[in-house]
Amino acid sequence: MHSIKLDLSIAAPGILLLLIAFVLPVTGILVLGIENAEGSFTSAHLVKFLTDPFYLAIAWRTVKLSLIITAICFIAGFPLAYIMARGGPKLRLWLLIVITLPLMTSVVVRTFGWMVILGRGGLVPQALNMLGLVNRNFTLMQTETAIVVGMVQVLFPFMVLSILGVVTKIDRRLEEAARVMGCSFIQAMRSVVLPLAMPGVVAGSLLVFTLSASYFITPTLLGGTRLPVLASSIYETATKTLDWHFAAAQSIVLLIGVLALLVPYTRLSGKANG
Amino acid sequence: MRLYLFTTALITGTAILSSSALAQETLIVNSWGGTYEKLQKELIFEPFERANNVKIQVATVYSADMLAQLRAQKNAPQYDVVQFSGGQEVVAAKEGLISPIKPEELSHAADLYPFATAGLARGEGPVSLVTAIGLLYNQKTAPSAPSSWKDLWDPKYEDHLVLTDLSNSYGLLGMLMMNQVWGGTLENTKPGLEKVGELLNRSVIITSSPEVQQNFAQNDAWIAPFSQDYAHVIRQSGQPVRFVAPKEGMPAVFFTSNVVANRPNQALAKKLIDFSLSPEVQAAFAREMRYSPTNSKTVLDAEVGAEVVHGDAINALVRFNPQTVDGMRNQLIEEWKKLIAR
Repeated sequence: MHSIKLDLSIAAPGILLLLIAFVLPVTGILVLGIENAEGSFTSAHLVKFLTDPFYLAIAWRTVKLSLIITAICFIAGFPLAYIMARGGPKLRLWLLIVITLPLMTSVVVRTFGWMVILGRGGLVPQALNMLGLVNRNFTLMQTETAIVVGMVQVLFPFMVLSILGVVTKIDRRLEEAARVMGCSFIQAMRSVVLPLAMPGVVAGSLLVFTLSASYFITPTLLGGTRLPVLASSIYETATKTLDWHFAAAQSIVLLIGVLALLVPYTRLSGKANG
Repeated sequence: MRLYLFTTALITGTAILSSSALAQETLIVNSWGGTYEKLQKELIFEPFERANNVKIQVATVYSADMLAQLRAQKNAPQYDVVQFSGGQEVVAAKEGLISPIKPEELSHAADLYPFATAGLARGEGPVSLVTAIGLLYNQKTAPSAPSSWKDLWDPKYEDHLVLTDLSNSYGLLGMLMMNQVWGGTLENTKPGLEKVGELLNRSVIITSSPEVQQNFAQNDAWIAPFSQDYAHVIRQSGQPVRFVAPKEGMPAVFFTSNVVANRPNQALAKKLIDFSLSPEVQAAFAREMRYSPTNSKTVLDAEVGAEVVHGDAINALVRFNPQTVDGMRNQLIEEWKKLIAR
């Protein structure tokens, strides 16, 4: 019943779209990154990136922030997804609305909201000032904290929804059995629910990590020019200094970095599935 | 027979009318959109159309794109008059894309400040307007008005400084000026980078013009190197911000009007440029947008005069060689990025 021909014909529109809208332009960019102005091969752009401590620091900041953002999304998202899965349908619906609602406003608008809240004289700095912790001019804007806060809000739904899908399918009786066998709630969570929810966690983490590594609007607006990340550096190089070759080389580094992460992760999720 | 005569008369009449309409010449010019383009239409293009029975078509094309288009259309140019703000006329003149204008072909040439006609000998168009980069400060909160670029290093301004990223052309000009003030040159930008490096812990660094306004309005900014026309924009929005011309001189953005080479209507194009140099037109641009006039006969109201660099002061404007700047720009921006990254 299962024929490759049939599969292919069903997937053809999608594959075609991917070819035209993804493979073609991305290949163009990759080629741009390894050629010089005359069009012959050169590794100079990549070497420049990989040997300059400034650009390595940008890459490191990107990885570091993405890891922190992913970790926070997981720590906050897993319990929420669990409660949503185990709560009544009404609660689930409302929580779902609350979580997905921010996705319906533009990222730029949400980021401007954070600028007001985190900036000098904004809600958070003022509250900290009233508690006597910081001085009047304290601002969270243009800090890595601001980037993390803004990005977590943007990406949190992706984590929760990925985990939610898997947790709702876990048989409740498995948990009950674990409790009957003498597990505490936490133990049941750790040794039964979490391992079974691993595919969702892996998928969510991947989504969050790759998205946060390639976002540039939020880091640019909240972090400012003094805290460049890879994506904002690519944007600057391509649009401000118009050095397309070097911008493409940076894109190659970003793409390979994300791919390198993808492979062990899919292995991990394969194990979790098995 | 009468009908025949009537018809003939009608036909010839129409023919004469339409041929006179055909004879109406057309000039194609570029402008930069926004208030600038609107004012140009109102003050220059429309009156010129009426006075000379000519039609002016305006296309919104920024300087760098304009130069690219001129290059592409070298054999069959599509524009008659082009305006540049980023020094592109230097390149365009070298490549023969624009026609030289003789001073005697412009009735206002003798009234222009010397720097405005200096480019004519090199085949560039005259400078029509100027906006200077100086220091903006908040009259209410800043402890005192600055008078020198070096005042930025005065600790009394605490951490209320706003600096502009070098990817912004105003930021680039400000940086080159500070570099010059501290002994640097276009070939050696180290002194400037080092000295500005000392300011980083006291500054907010912005990339776009509206952020300057936002920092004065919300972030308690006291002082910022930026342009005189934008000081006016911020003031209009209700902030007590004033523009100061530092004593060491100021870099500026020079707007030039140029006649495109190999176009039929050269004389008319020159006439249009000449018209834009009249004291009345320039006074209106100073009043509405706070751009400095280049015609020394321009009369400014006291209020406008206080906010716009004019008279003798305008001769102290610093013009960095656009070609040299173009060649060093990317290198400087990269060094700057490395300097400011935490």
